[in-house]
Amino acid sequence: MGLMTSGALRKGPLKPVGELLNYSRKYSLWMFQWGLACCAIEMGVALAGPRYDVMRLGVIPFPASPRQADLIVISGTVTDKMAPAIRRLYEQMPDPKYVISMGSCANCGGPYWDSYSVTKGIDQVIPVDVYVPGCPPRPEAFIQAIVMLQERIQHEDPADRWQGKGWEPIVVGQ
Amino acid sequence: MKTRPIVGRAKAGNRSSLASDEITSPGDAVDQDSVADQDSAVVTIDVAELSAEHADLLARFTGEVGADAVIESGVAGRELVVRIEPAAWVSAALACKTKLGFDYLGFVAGIDWLPTPAAGGDDAEGDTSAPVQPKDMTFGVAGSAGRFQVFARVGSTKVARYGITLKADLKESAPHIDSWFSVYPGADWHERECWEMYGFIFDGHPSLRHLYLPHEFEGFPLRKDFPLLAREVKPWPGLVNVEAMPGVDDEEGGD
Amino acid sequence: MTAFDVDPKLYSPLADSHLNVELDTGDMVLNIGPQHPATHGTFRLVVRLDGERVIKADPVIGYMHRGYEKLTEYRTYPQVTTLINRIDWLSSFANEVPFIAAAEQLMGIEAPPRALYIRTILTEMARISTFLLFLGEMGLQVGAITPAFLGFRDREYPLNLIESATGGRFHPNFNRIGGIKDDLPWGWIAECRNTMRKMLDSCDIFEDLVLGNPIFQARTRGIGIIPAELGAAYGVSGSNIRASGVDWDLRRDGEPLLPYNEIDWKVWTHQDGDSYARYWVRLQETRESARMILHLLDQMPSGPIMAKVPRIIKVPQGETYVAAENPLGEMGYYIISKGATGPFRVKIRTASFSNVSIMPWLLQGIYVPDVITVLASLYFILGDIDK
Repeated sequence: MGLMTSGALRKGPLKPVGELLNYSRKYSLWMFQWGLACCAIEMGVALAGPRYDVMRLGVIPFPASPRQADLIVISGTVTDKMAPAIRRLYEQMPDPKYVISMGSCANCGGPYWDSYSVTKGIDQVIPVDVYVPGCPPRPEAFIQAIVMLQERIQHEDPADRWQGKGWEPIVVGQ
Repeated sequence: MKTRPIVGRAKAGNRSSLASDEITSPGDAVDQDSVADQDSAVVTIDVAELSAEHADLLARFTGEVGADAVIESGVAGRELVVRIEPAAWVSAALACKTKLGFDYLGFVAGIDWLPTPAAGGDDAEGDTSAPVQPKDMTFGVAGSAGRFQVFARVGSTKVARYGITLKADLKESAPHIDSWFSVYPGADWHERECWEMYGFIFDGHPSLRHLYLPHEFEGFPLRKDFPLLAREVKPWPGLVNVEAMPGVDDEEGGD
Repeated sequence: MTAFDVDPKLYSPLADSHLNVELDTGDMVLNIGPQHPATHGTFRLVVRLDGERVIKADPVIGYMHRGYEKLTEYRTYPQVTTLINRIDWLSSFANEVPFIAAAEQLMGIEAPPRALYIRTILTEMARISTFLLFLGEMGLQVGAITPAFLGFRDREYPLNLIESATGGRFHPNFNRIGGIKDDLPWGWIAECRNTMRKMLDSCDIFEDLVLGNPIFQARTRGIGIIPAELGAAYGVSGSNIRASGVDWDLRRDGEPLLPYNEIDWKVWTHQDGDSYARYWVRLQETRESARMILHLLDQMPSGPIMAKVPRIIKVPQGETYVAAENPLGEMGYYIISKGATGPFRVKIRTASFSNVSIMPWLLQGIYVPDVITVLASLYFILGDIDK
């Protein structure tokens, strides 16, 4: 742990070790699915549908508990009643952890921008790595989000992640 | 293996009337009419006029509930609407269920007849996306005595196109009415929703607690004076002020 | 010596005393959800257990409450149409139809026959795609993964058709007051015929794979029985009540919004009222919908797809209630209009809300593993419960 957080994997003789580590993390993303609304069905199609099949990219959607997950996908409308639960389960995830916000509702409230019970954006509750716009986004957009996140993981320095750097979000399609 | 599939008759109109013994005329009459006026599918409804089947249903309803309990009646779409005395709310439900054959609960809900306030006050300029409603308080079909009303629809699974909507007035200061829970058990959640959204209190309901919203939520969202804060704070984000919305100049609009 | 025979020398009296004392099965409160794989989204169920048996079940809903009825008061009619696609997100097209029909009724506009036919076809297609997901999901809940993959695979075909006709894969927003937005694209009808035949085959596969499976039967037969009268008093509608032997379908018995009476079709019912019956009825209805679409394609009239409507939609003062048979049950809109560009009040009567409200009664006394199959067989969409 100390090795990772010290920044020694960034350069010098241990750089290949850091790259190997990133490469392994990239292709074994254990994903906690937080399916909330319409987007959940599209996420399900992307995961379980034979046509899309995200598992071929090394995303494993099996953990039913956030404690074994590296990635959490918030797909759908987040309500004020739900938001505390999301925060709580996010905090249970081990570091380094990644968040994909899928769909307009999770991004900014979407069509419920003036509702009295909808949280206008999940980024008010937890930090977001990748935003996927769309209402709902197509499964292809979700796959693109996974690919972009994997690129970020490949090129990032684990130390930065631990120190809270490198949070600039990616927006799919931009 | 005890699979006993039963296949209903085909085609509308040839309804196998399960309860035609108890409930005779209206169901069959409705059926034949539905076939007859197929071609003129959507017609403008004259609110004032009760058709024969509505008049018949109203007469039977009045006979069961009592003439002094019925205040006013009208037609909404193809549905008979009856405004009854709040004191007769439960007895009317009981009569509907046991005597008139309305075995199916559609919904229980509330209305707030207060005019919709414009978002951000009356002279709001930012938000032009919300439709402008009339400023005076008018009431719908079957009228109302005041601001709050509770209305409920019951139907029948045995007779085709057979339903009735009941309305009852509530006092604005103390919106109390008896619960339908003992008659239609499905009213449980509907009344909880109605209490949460309007603050109507259903006496005799087993547990009137929050259904949708978190426990710490304050206010009754569906009351017209409950503001949508997002609209107060900022105008509709989708509004791009490039050119005037079509038809702003000519109110009538063109065909 | 089998595994069950115990060597008396190794048999400890201490263990005996522990094993033979009847286990204390006091009340235990089990919280399922709001995020749980078995609850199809954000549904929370608090059950009090005595051992494995449910004493009391209390569903907690509202995790998906978006305030639809309030938001409709701040939207114009076309904007409301966009919004209500997302109530029951699996059958978005079917949600639009009763609302549009109610607005048309108040305005006195009649949609042309071709538009009504296209509406009917797309509604039935939404039903097929919704039920295919159910047919797969239900298998998943009793422990079979294959039906889920099959369901997801076959669902793509009707979704493709909906997308090619409307431009929206999930939320078509295709209905307009007075008709529909566009006519069908070239070649769509032939493609639709092929796909519907594929759907009929797919139903056969589900029938063989799931309904005939002894494990599936053991998990669903005689479990979660809804009596017809109680179900109606709770407001249970759609396939759930037809599985209890009630021969009632708003497509046939409701207002004639769509030309269902011009084609030959059946209403399927089942007498048992259990989880198995609900699966059976939905399977037959999927097949029936595919057949209906084939019929409708044969009889499709030509002509315009839009009636003459004013440029600015203003619905005259009035009230109406229009309900239609959605895939999940009766979906109705009670619209109160005051002559403005938007509705004054819309009461949305959703099917799942009433279907699920019977759950506290239904889950009493059954075993915990059966809770999951009963939940799955009722088939609710969270957005349809919470609005």
